[in-house]
This record gives sequence, structure tokens and C-alpha cells, in this order.
Amino acid sequence: MSAETEHKHAGPGRYVAVWIALLLFTALTVALGRSHLAGSWGLPVALAIAVVKSTLVVLFFMHLWDHGGANRLVLATALVFVALLIGLVLLDSATRFPLADPPTEATMRLMPPGPGAPPGVEPAAARP
Amino acid sequence: MPAAESHVAHHFPDLEVQSHAARLGMWLFLATEVLLFGGLFTAYALYRMLYPSAFHGASRLIETSMGALNTVVLITSSLTVALAFHYSRQSRNRLAALLLVATIGLGFVFLGVKAVEYAHHFREGHLPGRFYRYAGLQVPGASMFFTVYFLMTGLHGIHVIIGMGVLTWLAVGAWRGSYGGDYTTPIELGGMYWHLVDLIWIFLFPLLYLI
Repeated sequence: MSAETEHKHAGPGRYVAVWIALLLFTALTVALGRSHLAGSWGLPVALAIAVVKSTLVVLFFMHLWDHGGANRLVLATALVFVALLIGLVLLDSATRFPLADPPTEATMRLMPPGPGAPPGVEPAAARP
Repeated sequence: MPAAESHVAHHFPDLEVQSHAARLGMWLFLATEVLLFGGLFTAYALYRMLYPSAFHGASRLIETSMGALNTVVLITSSLTVALAFHYSRQSRNRLAALLLVATIGLGFVFLGVKAVEYAHHFREGHLPGRFYRYAGLQVPGASMFFTVYFLMTGLHGIHVIIGMGVLTWLAVGAWRGSYGGDYTTPIELGGMYWHLVDLIWIFLFPLLYLI
């Protein structure tokens, strides 16, 4: 068992290499953030660098490179649910219309059918 | 190895199976931590979408160089804790303990820098919600940036403090030679917690300091 674990466990050189890469990526993201070179792409670029950095940490500092299987599945599942949460919340917020009282044409068209529906406007479900 | 076998609980056939189970359990715990911070990242994303220019202006009020310094400090502390695990595997327990102490020291540096930043924000009135009283930036959403800022960095800071507590316990154990060789699970799992703290900061830094 000792030989096998020794085989699975890399030397300190790999940790130091990852550390240097993380420092370089930090310098890169600070330089890009300060100079505003990326313009409106600033957020995607900064997030992409953060994803690369965190991938390095997860794979080599947290050993997901060597210990795959269920451990990777657990982390991936958590990340999928965080992505769902952020994505759906933003989608919901981005597709709302301003509430208005009295209702406007746009809000009335979205109103469900029923006794509360205002006269003169066909509720959404009644239209073909 | 009789010393290592004594660490195996009776319901595990051997140490390797026990280590696998412990590692998977730790990943499950870290998944809940990711979800915990995920809620705050969602709040950040929503309010940044609602107040883009206020977030841009308010982010100018926090010092990028301080955040960059803390990023370097946390990344370096991740290296020292990873090396502590490595040398613990080689049963060089004193060296592992010293590396853990260095990690704790870097944790103190991180908290010190954060305290300087917080003190500055309290002086200037860069505060959440109705406590926001900074005259230089009076736009809707600026106080919301600092609500999110203090919630995210505050929860992260609590994790740093908890992590330092865990590492202290591990450093004492490593110095006494409680781990080493094939039995390094406590150092591995404590290190994973510390790496997660680093991981969260890797995302907090660009989102809060670099917009």
C-alpha cells in the first residue's frame, strides 16, 4: 500500500509550480483590471482567470487530479446548482416588467384570465 | 504498520478505505459551503445587474492593492498548508507543524489587512444600508454594494478564523507526532478547508475589487 500511495502522491515541486502559476494569474488579473484593457469584457475576462486559478487549486492543492470519482461528482453537482441559482435569478429579474398602477397595456396582456381581469382587454390565455 | 492500523475505526476494513470515506465526506461538507457562498454570489450578481454604475463607483472606494496583497497572502498560505500535508506524508512531523504555523501566521496577516480596510470603511462611512454616509458617492445602490461587500468578506473572514482554529489544532497534533506516514487524514481534510477559503477569495477579489 505504501508504494501505491507514494506513486499517487506528487512531490513539492508540483505545489510550488501551481503557486507560481497562481501568482502570475493574480498579477495578470490585477493588471487587466487596472488598465481597463478588456473594456466591457472586463468581467468575463476576470471571471475566466478566476475559474482557471480555482481549477488549479481544486486539481492540485485539493488533489482532485489524483482523487477523482465521487469527489469530483460532489463538487460538480454543487457548482451546477450554484449556476442554476444565479442563472435563474438573473433571468427572472431581467425579464420582469415594471409594475404599474393603473395597469398599462403591457401589464394587462400578461394578466391571467379570471374575474379580476380588466374589461376591454383579452387575457393572455383567451387569445389563440 | 501497527501504529497506523490503530487509527482505523472498527467498521472500516483498512486505513485506505477509511481515508477514501473521510475525503468524500469532506467534499460533501465543502459542497454545502459552496452552496452557502453561492447564495451571496447570487445576491451580488442580482444587485450588480440592477445597479451597474453604482457598483462600479463603489468598488473604486475599496483599495485594489489591499485586495491584491491579501490574494497573494492566501495563495501563499495555501502553498504552505499543501506542503505541510506533503511533509506529513513523509513523517517529517516537526517540519509539517512549522508549515502549519506559517499558514496560521499568514491567516493573521490576512485578517490584519482586512481590519485596516474595515477601519477605513467605518471612518469614511462606507457602510451597509442606512448606515451608509459617504458624501462622495450618493447614488442608489452604493449602500447595497457595501451590504454585499461586508456580508461576503465577513462570512469569508469567519471562515478564515475557523480555519486558523482547525490549523492550530493540527499544528499541535503534528508537532506531537499524532499524524504521519499513511495516517494524514486530519491534515489533508483541514488543508482542504483552508484551500476552500482560498478558493472563495479567488472569486471575491476580482468581483469586489476589480470592477
